[in-house]
Amino acid sequence: MTEQQGRSESRLLRGAHRTLTGLHPVFESLLAGVVGLLIGALLMHLYGFNPWKAYIALFRGAYAGSYEIASSISRAVPLILTALTFSICLRAGMFNIGAEGQLMVGAAAAVCVALFALPTGLAQIVGLLLAAVAGAIWSLVPAFLKLWRGVHEVISTIMFNWIGRWLVLYLTIYVLVDPARSERSLSIPLNARLPVLVRGTDLSYGIFVAVAFALLIYFVLWHTTTGYEVRAAGLNPSAARYGGIRSKRTTLLAFILGGMAAGLAGATIVMGLRPAYAIYGGGGLPQLTNLGFDGMAVAMVGRNHPIGILVSALFFGGLNAGGRVMQFYGSNPVPLEMVRIVEGAIVLAMSIPELVRIFPTVKREGERFIGLLRRASLKARKGGDSS
Amino acid sequence: MTQGNSYYLRAEGITKIYSDGTVALKEATVEIHTHEIIGLLGENGAGKTTFTKILSGLLPPTKGRVISPNGPVRFSSPREALDFGIGMVHQHFALVGTFTAAENVALSHKRPFSRIRLAKATERLEALMEESGLHVPLDVPVEKLAVGEQQRVEILKVLSRDVDLLILDEPTSVLTPLEVDELFELLTKLKQAGTSLILITHKLKEVQSVTDRIVVLRHGELVGDVRTEGTTTDRLAQLMVGQAVEDGVDAVELRTDEIPIHARRAEPDRSAPSVLHVEGLSAKGNTGDTTVDGVSLDVYGGEIFGIAGVEGNGQTELVESLTGLRVPYEGIATINGENILGKDPRVIYRQGVAHIPEDRWELGLVLPFTLAENAILGVHQWEEFRGPLGFLKWPRINAHVRELMDRFEIRATGPGAPAKSLSGGNQQKLIVGRELAKDPAIVVASQPTRGLDIGAAQFIRNLLVEMRNKGRAILLVSADLDEVLALSDRIAIMYEGRFMAVCAPEELDRQKIGLLMGGAVVCEEEAT
Amino acid sequence: MSWNDILSLLRISLHAMVPIVLTAVGEIIGETAGLFNIGLEGILLISAFGGALGAEIGGPVVGLAIGMGIGAVISFVFALISTYGKGTQMVTGIGINLFAMGFVAFGLIALGAPGFRDVPKVAEVAKWSTPMGAMSPMIIVALVMPFVIYWFLKRTRAGLILKAVGETPEAADVAGININIVRILAATAGGVLAGLAGAYMSVAWMGLVTKGLSAGRGFIALACVVFSGLNPLLALLGGFIFGLFQALAEWIKTLPSKPIPSQFVSMLPYIVTLLVVSGAIGRVRFPKALGEPYKRE
Repeated sequence: MTEQQGRSESRLLRGAHRTLTGLHPVFESLLAGVVGLLIGALLMHLYGFNPWKAYIALFRGAYAGSYEIASSISRAVPLILTALTFSICLRAGMFNIGAEGQLMVGAAAAVCVALFALPTGLAQIVGLLLAAVAGAIWSLVPAFLKLWRGVHEVISTIMFNWIGRWLVLYLTIYVLVDPARSERSLSIPLNARLPVLVRGTDLSYGIFVAVAFALLIYFVLWHTTTGYEVRAAGLNPSAARYGGIRSKRTTLLAFILGGMAAGLAGATIVMGLRPAYAIYGGGGLPQLTNLGFDGMAVAMVGRNHPIGILVSALFFGGLNAGGRVMQFYGSNPVPLEMVRIVEGAIVLAMSIPELVRIFPTVKREGERFIGLLRRASLKARKGGDSS
Repeated sequence: MTQGNSYYLRAEGITKIYSDGTVALKEATVEIHTHEIIGLLGENGAGKTTFTKILSGLLPPTKGRVISPNGPVRFSSPREALDFGIGMVHQHFALVGTFTAAENVALSHKRPFSRIRLAKATERLEALMEESGLHVPLDVPVEKLAVGEQQRVEILKVLSRDVDLLILDEPTSVLTPLEVDELFELLTKLKQAGTSLILITHKLKEVQSVTDRIVVLRHGELVGDVRTEGTTTDRLAQLMVGQAVEDGVDAVELRTDEIPIHARRAEPDRSAPSVLHVEGLSAKGNTGDTTVDGVSLDVYGGEIFGIAGVEGNGQTELVESLTGLRVPYEGIATINGENILGKDPRVIYRQGVAHIPEDRWELGLVLPFTLAENAILGVHQWEEFRGPLGFLKWPRINAHVRELMDRFEIRATGPGAPAKSLSGGNQQKLIVGRELAKDPAIVVASQPTRGLDIGAAQFIRNLLVEMRNKGRAILLVSADLDEVLALSDRIAIMYEGRFMAVCAPEELDRQKIGLLMGGAVVCEEEAT
Repeated sequence: MSWNDILSLLRISLHAMVPIVLTAVGEIIGETAGLFNIGLEGILLISAFGGALGAEIGGPVVGLAIGMGIGAVISFVFALISTYGKGTQMVTGIGINLFAMGFVAFGLIALGAPGFRDVPKVAEVAKWSTPMGAMSPMIIVALVMPFVIYWFLKRTRAGLILKAVGETPEAADVAGININIVRILAATAGGVLAGLAGAYMSVAWMGLVTKGLSAGRGFIALACVVFSGLNPLLALLGGFIFGLFQALAEWIKTLPSKPIPSQFVSMLPYIVTLLVVSGAIGRVRFPKALGEPYKRE
């Protein structure tokens, strides 16, 4: 083996080794996903359904055609954003579970664009801006309470979820109500709506907002000094202090960005959802509920990384879209709620870091394989650059 | 003087090897008698805490056994040891802050799930307090008590279990002189009642004042077991730090089991102003007590100024004050004339300070971060790494890391490897490389070779000497006496927040240093 | 506002108070030991469902018992994951909530009742008729339980151990206490109470099960726990306040002309909790080791 050959071989092996160890968290997510689906299958079987047929219907309904894929993506849009809310703050070392409330407040703020007469283009931007600012404010108050009063952010964000929900309900029924149709708020005017991307589906330009924000967060967190500081402070506050990083600043920034994301999520729903483009009050804001918590599930499966979140949201969006199809499929259709069960099982599976250990063989074999690669790469390296 | 001196416990051939290979104890054999106070003396890392942790059931020995008159005994938990009659008062108290003293004592009581009759417990405690002379308010949450009082609660807790062997780990480090006297009175009383006591300390004066016997550990080995009466302080110091080493004029070598390095001393230019100037620096520790007490020093370019001493005497707080991690309440400190006190670490780094922290996992590295990300910690805002709009120049950073890996022989798979995948030595080399790459005016190195294998340790020491030879100033803080002696051009011994002496290593022999580290005052004048 | 109105308000408040107080007091036990269970909502829902089914099969007592059992099992698993499994408590709790929502909705449909399922009158815990109207005897349980738990935490050795484990696990460990076992027992006990609360809702109060029966009460209970500063007596007060506001909000909705929008009334308990926690009203203090898995150095 010539030196040249040896070196390129070793680099390949080293690259493979690095990819595999770097992929370890992906394996965890995949495993959790499989566990979730298995548990769902088990329950379906127990209740007398056919899990195989159900899952086929599910995945067909999620990804089989362009209409289906568009539906999945449209459901993924708010999830991407609320997942980002949770993940940004988690990276900063905080638990922000206030995406629910921040999203609702954002939606209400976006509806306010109906109060002004703005030209197309500007209207959308203003709507998005209002939503982002509202979400950020709703997220900042708990942040301040944490920094200046030591209030645990979990408690305060939960409280603000409820305060936000009641506030938005009030606004929808009394302040922003559509005089003609009292069951909902004012409708977003035609020129302020997010245009539909794929005709006949729910997929609007909101997807661009979501993806753009995700990419923005990626760049900020991994490619700017500010994002670096946020991550450092989240992982090791003492070392961050040593590095001259002020964690008060990073916490505030994370909460602002997180709140913006959730607010934007609310905007994408209200400004992009056919046919009414308004908030419905009945039954406690049904279109806006639970998106915060679902976002957390998406974030966890996406390993709190923007790219992972995009993939994970597509998966969860697909589950939702596919579920809607699955519930009508066949002679004994499985109800839509099964999807929620699968989601819950996936999150539970993800909550155990040692989950992989429960399957000791998987782990052992995995480690053996990685060890093999490592030894091979070392050998190749030695052979490659022996001087 | 002892009465009825029967043997209570015998520790035979106790050896402890930790999972990472460190030999903490090597074949230690000690006989413990009733009616006796034994002083356990030694430097940091000598094995004192390990030995007592084994006795009190917190750790199992790797080899060896503990024998009582009724046969060998084995403890798998502190509770078992306590049931047997061995109780330990730890250096860091195991008290529940929000509980009162009475509740803390009740917690350690034997019978589970029985209803505590607090009144009865309080009664018993008050009797105990009368007996022992230890008085503590019983109904105040423990966290509100002074540290001395908290310690008394710890002791009461253990005493209430009727122990036969009481072990105290550095009990006086948190006490005022008056409280120390009171404590020793109590210990003597207990001894006379028949209890065996082991007192861990590094303070020579204390150990001589209250003990009957002194056991000295050094590097995990038992090097001395002497009667207190009749042993001089000098002899103790000698046992504690080892035989006097022949000091050459130009070169000093480390102990023979390590690769010798020659730290050829150059005379720094004392006519130029010092790089680091400190005057009357005083700072409080985390408990609110003064831990740095009026320290003054000057470090010039081209010299290594070493601070020796047992850990816990204020070195950490002093370093923190000089690197922006603590704000002292009094004093002056400047780098090349500019003040550094109370400033942000990042500002201080700009002023030319490099800091190799004493805890590389807590402070020096963000372990989940990659090498590249760690390599810019503290300097991530510098122009060479940061572009417009705050964007990080990763290509430049990666190239920088590769340079560091080359220069400092850091073994890792690449700049993208997570820091936690590196060995301790490589992690430390990364930190050192990062700091030295700043081209600093002064390097503050705190325990730079702690926990490292010989190769890595030597590498880093050589680096420090190299920097010194290039004209930089180095402030070296180390609990490893050999290291400080070998590397420093001037040495200060720190004890209880103050410098006991400042002079060149040649002027001190090891005995003197041992004495100074133990707090004995040897009439030295401050050499500037 | 007539005297009847006031009585009616009081009656509804007391009924609404029960699930909140029981769940909150149960969670207080768990949090005192250091476990923070955000999955209470899910536990309430599943126990309501299971309790209803059990009541249909075996009568009201069986229903309540099954509810308690379900609560115990879920909390036990949660505690197992959080201690030995070293899981993140937040994440596990969220998983429980999601799972429960899906499971109950799914179960209802699978049993043939898509929207809701009535609990037959026979299976309900009979209400006593009082001057105030029909009141459930469970109210008495809810009134008494906080005192029992208060006494338990304050005066027994077990209570002392719980507090030590939650506050300074290192000290408890040195004293020879098994941290994980204590936490598991505490959480399970709390789960029994939460399960009881859930079963109460379907079997003793509303007489039906819907997929949204819990209506956020799990989170309200958490707010109540925070408000109470881990003091069961204050949790009773808080639970009553929350129940009162819920009843008030409902009552205001029925009025033709509303003095305050009902939504603001509904908001009030959460705002009050925030103020309490921020220290504006009183000082609240939580166990230092809350939410952290324990690792022996």
